[in-house]
Amino acid sequence: MNYRITHRTTYAYSAPVGISHHAARLRPLETVTQKCLDFRLNFDPQPDLLTLHADAYGNEVASFSIQRRHSRFEIISSSLVSVIAASRPEAPKTPPWEEVAELFRDPVAAEFLDPCEFVFRSPLLVHEPPLRAFALPSFTKGRPLLLAVADLCSRIHREFTFDPKATNISTPLTEVLENKRGVCQDFAHLAIATMRSMRLPARYVSGYLRTRPPAGKPRLVGVDASHAWVSCYVPGYGWTDFDPTNNCFTTEDHITVAHGRDFSDVSPVRGIITGGGKHTVGVGVDVEPVDG
Amino acid sequence: MSSLFRGYQPESFFDEVFAGPGATRPHYGAMLGNIGSLSPDDYSALQRTVDAAFLRQGVTFTVYGDDKGTERIFPFDLMPRIIPQREWEMVEAGLIQRITALNLFLNDIYHGQKIIADGVVPADLVLSASHYRPEFRGIKVPHGIYIHICGTDLVRDGKGDYYVLEDNGRCPSGASYMLENRNAMKRAFPGLLHSLPVRPVDEYGTMLRETLAHLAPPTVIDPVIVVLTPGIYNSAYFEHCYLAKQMGVPIVEGRDLIMRNDRVFMRTTKGLEQVHVIYRRIDDDFLDPQVFRKDSLLGVPGIINAYRKGHVALANSIGTGVADDKAVYALVPKMIKYYLDQDPILPNVTTYLGVDPKECDYILNNLEQLVVKAVNESGGYGMLMGPSSTAKERADFAERIKANPRNYIAQPVLQLSRHPVFVDDHFEGRHIDLRPYVLYGDRVRVVPGGLTRVALKKGSLVVNSSQGGGSKDTWVLWEDRPDMPAATPPAA
Repeated sequence: MNYRITHRTTYAYSAPVGISHHAARLRPLETVTQKCLDFRLNFDPQPDLLTLHADAYGNEVASFSIQRRHSRFEIISSSLVSVIAASRPEAPKTPPWEEVAELFRDPVAAEFLDPCEFVFRSPLLVHEPPLRAFALPSFTKGRPLLLAVADLCSRIHREFTFDPKATNISTPLTEVLENKRGVCQDFAHLAIATMRSMRLPARYVSGYLRTRPPAGKPRLVGVDASHAWVSCYVPGYGWTDFDPTNNCFTTEDHITVAHGRDFSDVSPVRGIITGGGKHTVGVGVDVEPVDG
Repeated sequence: MSSLFRGYQPESFFDEVFAGPGATRPHYGAMLGNIGSLSPDDYSALQRTVDAAFLRQGVTFTVYGDDKGTERIFPFDLMPRIIPQREWEMVEAGLIQRITALNLFLNDIYHGQKIIADGVVPADLVLSASHYRPEFRGIKVPHGIYIHICGTDLVRDGKGDYYVLEDNGRCPSGASYMLENRNAMKRAFPGLLHSLPVRPVDEYGTMLRETLAHLAPPTVIDPVIVVLTPGIYNSAYFEHCYLAKQMGVPIVEGRDLIMRNDRVFMRTTKGLEQVHVIYRRIDDDFLDPQVFRKDSLLGVPGIINAYRKGHVALANSIGTGVADDKAVYALVPKMIKYYLDQDPILPNVTTYLGVDPKECDYILNNLEQLVVKAVNESGGYGMLMGPSSTAKERADFAERIKANPRNYIAQPVLQLSRHPVFVDDHFEGRHIDLRPYVLYGDRVRVVPGGLTRVALKKGSLVVNSSQGGGSKDTWVLWEDRPDMPAATPPAA
């Protein structure tokens, strides 16, 4: 399936900004199931400086600065992406989760060092005892990894309410766990931290969902904005993505933009400004299937 | 010797000056022959003069979390600590070996992670270190060096053997006190240092400058170096200014620097000037709000991009804190073996890791005999001294250890060596340590001397300035005074 994606981020400032520095992670990743056929960034005003580099997780980062006074700023990324559905190992045949966790206990084999980076706490996700308690019902003795993950995923979906008003970017996970409300980012963080509390590697994926569902299928939650889900590591197979917000393993409806330990590694646009007073941010995402 | 030492008891400790009651160690002879012959009145008058001078010159530091005034002078004890050449050669070789191994380790951890893949150090301990910066993997740093300035804390036990207590590879402080202590000695005893074979420390500023200049981008002939300070409220602000002055370079705060075209510029009265090397005394977290903590107002947004591109060099590099982690410290002997195929010249203190379930049990069952430390704290904060703790403090700590075992280590209580310290009108023994400064530029150099810190409270083993410690001048002796300084050993 091919998609044309437009992601628009608009900042409006109540007072002029003298200088701004931003880092954007907006280019869809190249993976075995995804190709980025075309990618463009448009700015208004045009930055005075723009450089690209790949970060430690393989995401492309555009760093740019506007070195003139401005009171609004817009960045639009347009991409053309081709996605095929990922093949997935049969869940009942995946190894028991304890065996997987054991691979990430020392001594860790060289081939598992890369996923091992995702077992530990990260800037936004610290290990908290309640997370382990939340994990235990899903991670029963000897349960194949992906069955445990699927159970965790459906429990989050069942027990938590999608509520954009309940949380913001800095709401701690313990609060999400207590109030049972949040958005895709919270659910992804919750699933990641839960898995890590069981010493399993899990990483954060940011991306998009197709805006209009195929005929006859329901509209997914999390469209019209960046979406977030989770990737877990299945030995012998690799990273496998699942989406706790929609209670599913990812399909060709999910377009991956970046990977990281948590949201702080992949935030689509982050920036530092001088001046600016109060500011408001508007985000609009449009994902249209095109004939491939 | 005068009555200064009447009644002085080395007791059961290793005393730096006295091998037994009344028996001085030979390397102290010449100094005691001079300073030791003063009358208690003269000596105490000199000590008071020096104290007043420190206060006048503002040689101070700041204590955090203390609401009674903040800036204090760093108490200085006039009687120098002396290290004979033979001992120093061993210390120096051990420090060079250690900083070499630590740098190889950091370069490995941020690139191929061979040492983990080969099973020499556990992945768990390294990758979970809170100062490990995976964001920084794969980035080339100038000459592959991460720690350019290291302040390693050494102690001596009851037998007088040297041990490494911790490595400070982030922003070690104290070098300014080392220099000021020497100046104070020169003022208090004019001509004395000249007449004794004491190695000078005043080259530190020059050496630091050379070390920093070595990091500049290769195309730059005369690099612009600056000291980046968090500002006047930082505990070591005096030192930041002092070192900038010693090197003859500007001191700047984050707001004095701006980024243009991935290059760092300093605002000056003559316009913008490009900066090539930054001796930063700001922690990683606060350095670049675009990459690390967003709420930092101390740093310079975009500076990491400039570093990544090689337009500016930072000393020390990013992510060196992983080697500072007190649990990773326990692995340094293994690193030395792995990278250099050598045995450590300076041994570690036995360390029990909270992260190891067996060792954690041992810690919890023996809290009364151990020193427990949080792995990322420094300055004597977050520490439990078992033998002098109350049952409540121990219970508190046990809870904290159980909640987060990775965050704690424990070590046996070393009977640190003691040194006579002037108290009121006579000398008493107090525990001391030693922080020498190691610089890694085109080669590794160790300043012959360092900061000897003193636990001024009777019986106390905590020497940190923030916990009521003081300091002494540290003399490293030439055995035979050469006409020319000997060549320093090359980097391993």
